[in-house]
Amino acid sequence: MSKLKIELEVNQRKVVRETEPQKRLLDFLREDLNLTGAKEGCGAGECGTCSVFVDGKLVKSCLMPVAKASGCKVETIEGLAEPGQLTPVQKAFHKTGASQCGYCIPGMVMAATSALRANPDAGIEEIKERLGGNICRCTGYTKIFEAVEMARAVIAGDMAPAELEEDAVGASYIGANVRRLDAPSKVSGRLKYAADMRMPDMLQMQVLRSPHAHAKILSIDTSEAEAMEGVACVITSRDVPGQDGFGVFVHDQPIMARGKVRHVGEAVAAVAAEDLLTARRALSKIRVEYQELPGIFDPQEAMEPGAPVVHDYAPGNVVKHIPVRKGDTAAGFAAADLVLEDDFSTQQVEHAYLEPEAGIAYVDPDDVVVVISPSQNITHHRHMLSHIIDKPINKVRFIMSPVGGGFGGKEDMIYQGMLALAAMKTHRPVQLNFTREESLIASAKRHPSLVHYKMGLTKDGRITAIEFNMLSDGGAYGMSSEGVMRKAAILSCGPYEVENLKVDTTAVYTNNTPSGAFRTFGGMQAQFATESMMDMAAEALGMDPFEIRRVNMMKIGSRTHTQQELTTASLDRVLDAAEKASRWETGAPVSRGSQRGDLGGPDTRAPCTLGARINQPDVAAGKEKVA
Amino acid sequence: MLTCDTYHMPTGLTEALTLWSEAPAGSRLVSGATDILPWAREGRAGDVHLPAMIDVTRVPEMSGYRVEGGRVRLGANTVYQDFLSKDDLRRFLPCMPYCAIWFADDQIREVATLAGNLVNASPVADGTPPVAALNGEVELTRLADGKLARRLVPVGDFILGPGKTDLAEDEIVTAVILDDATGYGGSFQKVGQRRSLVISVACCAALVKTDASGTKFEDLRLALGGVGPRPIRLTEVEEALRGAEISHGAIAKAADLAASKVASRSRKEYRRDVVVGFVRAAIEEALGNQPGAPVEIRGAGETADV
Ligand SMILES: Cc1cc2nc3c(=O)[nH]c(=O)nc-3n(C[C@H](O)[C@H](O)[C@H](O)COP(=O)(O)OP(=O)(O)OC[C@H]3O[C@@H](n4cnc5c(N)ncnc54)[C@H](O)[C@@H]3O)c2cc1C
Repeated sequence: MSKLKIELEVNQRKVVRETEPQKRLLDFLREDLNLTGAKEGCGAGECGTCSVFVDGKLVKSCLMPVAKASGCKVETIEGLAEPGQLTPVQKAFHKTGASQCGYCIPGMVMAATSALRANPDAGIEEIKERLGGNICRCTGYTKIFEAVEMARAVIAGDMAPAELEEDAVGASYIGANVRRLDAPSKVSGRLKYAADMRMPDMLQMQVLRSPHAHAKILSIDTSEAEAMEGVACVITSRDVPGQDGFGVFVHDQPIMARGKVRHVGEAVAAVAAEDLLTARRALSKIRVEYQELPGIFDPQEAMEPGAPVVHDYAPGNVVKHIPVRKGDTAAGFAAADLVLEDDFSTQQVEHAYLEPEAGIAYVDPDDVVVVISPSQNITHHRHMLSHIIDKPINKVRFIMSPVGGGFGGKEDMIYQGMLALAAMKTHRPVQLNFTREESLIASAKRHPSLVHYKMGLTKDGRITAIEFNMLSDGGAYGMSSEGVMRKAAILSCGPYEVENLKVDTTAVYTNNTPSGAFRTFGGMQAQFATESMMDMAAEALGMDPFEIRRVNMMKIGSRTHTQQELTTASLDRVLDAAEKASRWETGAPVSRGSQRGDLGGPDTRAPCTLGARINQPDVAAGKEKVA
Repeated sequence: MLTCDTYHMPTGLTEALTLWSEAPAGSRLVSGATDILPWAREGRAGDVHLPAMIDVTRVPEMSGYRVEGGRVRLGANTVYQDFLSKDDLRRFLPCMPYCAIWFADDQIREVATLAGNLVNASPVADGTPPVAALNGEVELTRLADGKLARRLVPVGDFILGPGKTDLAEDEIVTAVILDDATGYGGSFQKVGQRRSLVISVACCAALVKTDASGTKFEDLRLALGGVGPRPIRLTEVEEALRGAEISHGAIAKAADLAASKVASRSRKEYRRDVVVGFVRAAIEEALGNQPGAPVEIRGAGETADV
């Protein structure tokens, strides 16, 4: 491989370097120049976390071979403003709270800057269109668009720059618009996430993952990989010194597959090497002999007698069953004028936080094993790891790096253990950065669920009994399944007072990707079923959907499904506000679609359109502005 | 992950062709790299090592555009954003801005080339239908005894099937040559799963020209993508409407002829429904976009609902 010599200008400074010919501009900026404001969210041009200007044009640096930038002027997020200063766009992002986890923000600020440079008068449709290549998972974009419109007004002189400063806070912070403390570090690209961190002498880790959903591991031969130049160590479950096993509730998951693999993408071995490429090449030298086992992919089949067993400790494949009982459902159904019965299913969902999993581990001079990662649960991870690596708790330290989005998906310790083992084996810092594909295949998902629902009601809409039976696909490991089942059971029948109920939620093991925590933690799946039933009941009884909810809603003094007496309740106010805000057309939900009278109107989102700029006279005349 | 031994950036066509003909087997040409880089990832080709990558974007003979004899010669380095930002190109190729606005996003359009899109030969590429509608030809150049040898291939013959083209081993696409359609109204329809950054399920390009009175179709060009391995010109629909009175009824009737063209293996029924609605909407929108006086579409029948 011959080195590539490149000369370019980066943030107005001349740069001359020799680098590897295959590097992408993103690699060059991050690795060779340590400009880590541009991030790698997907590596495939989809997400926009890596946007930079090349000769004044915004591009995705993950799709640009670095040779293409030679002789060009590159501008990154770090170069937008002088140190200590922020541009109006950056200030506006700070002001409106547009930066939350912050991982998309450098790219988003670049796209906003590009949009306003291209057309300082861009309307909201054109702004949306020009930001179309950048994805955010926290904000729902509203605050971002608000920020771009604000910046546009300030740049055009239609708004005083002082409007971008923090609002004055009076006697109380409650109700005041307070800016985030860490936003300046995010809008300027200065905040270091785990993948942005560098340590001297640091190794790069890559992970060999299972191609099989369910297979016995007959042998793992790492000798050829270990013998490679540049490889510092190869680890497998054999390297675990203590009691292997982690999980939020049940410690059923080994650091790396032990004896068998239970899902496609499960870690089997890992390599730490001098650089990423060597580590990747070493993976292909590891020989694993598998014996495929029959897999189980359907939660209903998992419960059938004779089904393949995923974990020996759970011969019926049940992770957790949570029953809730209240009153007498037989009597409740007997008192009903109407009994409705239906099935509801929800699918697996990926969190898709913009920051793929990343972390660093090292052993400090006092023999403390330190793990830096965007973990959503560091204290629990620390306790589990101390058992796994057989060290007292004071010799294990977890540092939580900024979390570039988690939504529950970073609660599981799926890679921190491998980093710790490699650091212990080499006494060097080790870093692992997941690719987007790896994040998708190896991280937990929202539980797919099946709910069988039976609801009894009187003619006037009062619920007399509910039977709620949820079966969830927990996937290959327990992770947060138990908690998700508890929450789903507790919230099952919604915020309605139900005298007689029989609730069962069950999560089972399968050979699918593990299910875990995901915002609402089981609540969403249950509410989808319950609220659908409420609407169907309203339709069947000819009632207004708000009305049927008011008839059944929990009030002060109501007893919840788990028999807690409520001392506060707000559903009445929530329903009033929702009814007013939606300009709800009162009546049974029988008039459908375009015949409804409450469609459109203020605050209703118009369908997406494209081409705002094509139809603009100045652009149509070819005068696209470049500022 | 994509790796290579050498990355070349030739600055002349002869240099590029020489490098290309001498490159070790397995080497690749590179334009915008927006297909090549995502291809070498997990789940697709995985880790790929190329002996040489030959980047043609700095070859001046392949850059820029010119008009000759009613045809527009687009250098192979023309990127999608040019169809939005270059006034001349918008006038010559009236369906291209509408295609470009639906293509990827602003940032990818700055580097993604029309030529790369054609060579990649995806059945759902957005570039093929408008090129087919514009009677496009692909210019292929190679070195024969040290001299440049060129041939022109109509786009429908150039694309042989998914990922397959008529490009010979030692050839480089140097230009895409299209009709100058100044005066036509253009449009592009696309369904995908969202608005930005989405690959088409099906797409349709239209070019329409009325007679001087604005009541009859003088000429019409229609092409579909995503419904078969190659782009499809809808010649029956074109013929049915050429010279016909402009009315919703006539457009709807002609559009129905398009359904039989859907040959895709997946979601065939869905694509059929979409295509008929598409063709109607594409014609009606193209009429609306024709420069000059607005065209009135007569007759009963509401506007196509897509
Ligand atoms: C996020 C994203 C969104 C996308 N959205 C769309 C979309 O909406 N619609 C769509 O159609 N496509 C889309 N694409 C695909 C891609 O951007 C297009 O196909 C693009 O036009 C390819 O052009 P390129 O210049 O980047 O090609 P490259 O990747 O450089 O090359 C593509 C192929 O052509 C060959 N090649 C390149 N130049 C030449 C030449 N001059 N002569 C001979 N062979 C050559 C290469 O060897 C390679 O095989 C998208 C891609 C990404 C990453």
